[in-house]
Amino acid sequence: MDREIRRRLTDDRRTLAGPIGNILIDELLDGRVDRREFLRRASVFGLSTSVIGTALVAAACSSSPSSSSSGGKVGGRLRVGIIPPPAHDIEPHTFADQGALETGSIAGEHLIRAAPGLKLVAELATSWNPNGDASAWTVKLRQNVKFQTGQVMTADDVVATYKRLVSPTSGSQALSAFKHVLSPDGVSKVDDNTVMFQLDNPTASFPYLLSSTTYQGIILPANYLLGTFTSKPQTTGAFVLKSYTPGVGAKYDRYTGWWGGHAALDGVDVNYYQDAAAADAALLGGTIDLIAQINVSTDRALFNNSKFQIFGGRGATHREVPMRVDLDNPLKDKRVRQAIALTLDRPAIVSTLFNKFADVGNDTPWAPVYPSSVGPPDVPQRQQDVNKAKQLMAAAGFGNGFSITLTTEMTGEIPQLAQIIQRSVKAIGIDLKLSVLTSTAYFAGSQTGPPSGYGDTPWLNAPINITDWGHRSVPNVFLTAALESNGVWNAAHYSNPQFDAAAKGFIGAISIDDQRKYAKQAETILLEDTPVIFPYFYNYLAGGTQAVKGYYADPQGTVFLSHTSLG
Amino acid sequence: MTLFVLSILVFAASQLLPGDIGRNVLGPFASSHDVQALNHELGVDRPIYVQYGDWIWRLAHANLGMSLEYKVPVASLLGPSLINSLKLATVAFLLVVPLSIIGGVFAALRRGHLPDRVITLTGLSLTAVPEFISAIMLILIFGLLLNWLPVTAASPPESDVITQVKYLLLPGMALVMVLFGYIARMARAGTIEALDSDYTRTAYLKGLDTRTVISRHVLRNSLLPTIAVIATQMGYLIGGLVVIEKLFNYNGIGQRIYTAALNKDFTMLQSGVLVVGLVYLTATLIADVLYSLLNPRIRYAAAE
Repeated sequence: MDREIRRRLTDDRRTLAGPIGNILIDELLDGRVDRREFLRRASVFGLSTSVIGTALVAAACSSSPSSSSSGGKVGGRLRVGIIPPPAHDIEPHTFADQGALETGSIAGEHLIRAAPGLKLVAELATSWNPNGDASAWTVKLRQNVKFQTGQVMTADDVVATYKRLVSPTSGSQALSAFKHVLSPDGVSKVDDNTVMFQLDNPTASFPYLLSSTTYQGIILPANYLLGTFTSKPQTTGAFVLKSYTPGVGAKYDRYTGWWGGHAALDGVDVNYYQDAAAADAALLGGTIDLIAQINVSTDRALFNNSKFQIFGGRGATHREVPMRVDLDNPLKDKRVRQAIALTLDRPAIVSTLFNKFADVGNDTPWAPVYPSSVGPPDVPQRQQDVNKAKQLMAAAGFGNGFSITLTTEMTGEIPQLAQIIQRSVKAIGIDLKLSVLTSTAYFAGSQTGPPSGYGDTPWLNAPINITDWGHRSVPNVFLTAALESNGVWNAAHYSNPQFDAAAKGFIGAISIDDQRKYAKQAETILLEDTPVIFPYFYNYLAGGTQAVKGYYADPQGTVFLSHTSLG
Repeated sequence: MTLFVLSILVFAASQLLPGDIGRNVLGPFASSHDVQALNHELGVDRPIYVQYGDWIWRLAHANLGMSLEYKVPVASLLGPSLINSLKLATVAFLLVVPLSIIGGVFAALRRGHLPDRVITLTGLSLTAVPEFISAIMLILIFGLLLNWLPVTAASPPESDVITQVKYLLLPGMALVMVLFGYIARMARAGTIEALDSDYTRTAYLKGLDTRTVISRHVLRNSLLPTIAVIATQMGYLIGGLVVIEKLFNYNGIGQRIYTAALNKDFTMLQSGVLVVGLVYLTATLIADVLYSLLNPRIRYAAAE
């Protein structure tokens, strides 16, 4: 490092980087993170471009961060197939189903966009900076952004949107992400272009929660009236929602006042499909150009077909198999839970159900895609071992097996996974009966979560079940909602203070070393206790014709078309 | 009377669906208090007979209510779906009725010979094939391999009649495959019975030629049971095409009712079923009128 660069780096460290920025620069200079990971983390903590550039030069890295956007052909309307249609009315803060969030995301924008590779890109915010312990974040807003109503976006709009998002009485579906992180009183306006988020607990990954990862967080005007999302265009995105017919489709036109310039597409026509076969036929027959989500198990016709391309987003979308630890049945014994997990041949499951588009799980929510994931060799990968499983069953006093019912939902490949588990545990004498419900029935009933209880919904109360979980850019929600004591979606009713402490430490940890330290503790505890089996993390896939350019499959499921073109 | 019984049945059945409406609408995080408040607001916490009476009262005033899931008037969604279903049913009707009647009568006239066996066997085989298989086969052959017809049933907005019919041909053909065997079999049986009857023999003995005997005496009698059968299929053609509508991504009333049942959208479900019931009864009434026009005995009996 020559003297000039050292001087610039010292200056930047002192004046621009702040305490967290300095930790990141240390990690880069010490070789603990590579260039790509440094860029990702720099985007999380809102380091300025100047600091990033200096640090990269100092680390003898050749290039500076760039935001590439492919210049595609201008014009044309993209015809998108969405499966299934939105189940409810389109109201961003209540988005809970795929159809609704995909529909809303074409018109809506967030403070930050979660881009491929878990990288955060400025959208309606231009910078986000934490205080010393990441318990308060200052977000600067992009200026001259106009809603489709014509009014200019200000801090008031962002504050109103976020207060609704974290309010316990608004019906927000984002509460699982913000619980113990942000309360309505924590959101405040500093000036017209600055918003302060004062957190309930230090959260180093808070920018992810502000990103499109929290797909409910579409910024709407402060005077937005509930129930008017589809009847009055009032987002900031590149496309204006012109018409919406429940169960049938939606039409969007280019928003000429978009702050980002001129979207390549003239518009977007969405068709809803109830059935994957019908959407496949439409794509094969040229009726649509893109299917926003496809699966290996239901859309085989699109794979290995040169006319089509598969957009793959490696992510943390997964299935959980929680086993109630608090009922008076054999699953209460962790040896039985370990034994069940040991019967699974995970590589074979991944191969059967997902071809090559999935990562093997290790019974922790740390998907391999997460930089904080520890995994092998520090935390051993759980592999099929039927003999050991039999020994554990015998040691637990269930050498002759037992009978129990697994409850699950008719979604995607889940019924097939249930059958695979059923066959696998037969080897250790478990007679697993299957109760496969419709999704509606599976999630029906009350589920208010602790401290008032888990209600009576099947998915939080069955002795053993399988539930679908979407991708998150950080594993925080999986930890706080599904595994921590009193988590709102803790279907295993698991409670271990050591794990809670490790999870809390992880969420507040700033350096990657600290994150991995806590992740290792938590992963080890979960592997031992096995309250939940995580068999795999599968890629989010979309399928389209070769004409579709500049599109990527967002593991979260949002349909981001601002930079997409036809040819 | 039939509609009244149907209304009670559909109302009772919808109450048996699992889940709580307020919870379904407000989501998992809403407090029990909010859920109860919404249930109270929607009136679903009242005794069932009160809810039923209220529903009937609103129906009597042509008010189908608001969709619980989509928060828009039920009529605004059911209306276009019903029109779509009627379009598809019409195309299917126009394809299947002439085809199967001609097929059935022809088979009867060639009774025991090759054409009879081919028609009977083909009809039976097609009826035995589930509609999702026959529909997928049609999509594969005519939509994807030969590329003759669109694979979806919904034509682009503002399409002319010919384009709309073109889009409806594939699903229409799938319905022909489902119904051909059944209707052709009835037409064949009716024709054979008529051919063996005394009045046909008399007609021949009067010296009439075969064409006149068939058109004036045989068909008129042989088609009576076939008309009754076709009328009973109208309910299916309008409201029972969930699979076909799904595969061809068609916004018909069957799909609406099915989704409403899945989402526990009571108002949509109840009104949808009742509308289909109404269509079914209308079709039966038209069949009865047609029956009486073709069958002088009924008219005479009425005149007496």
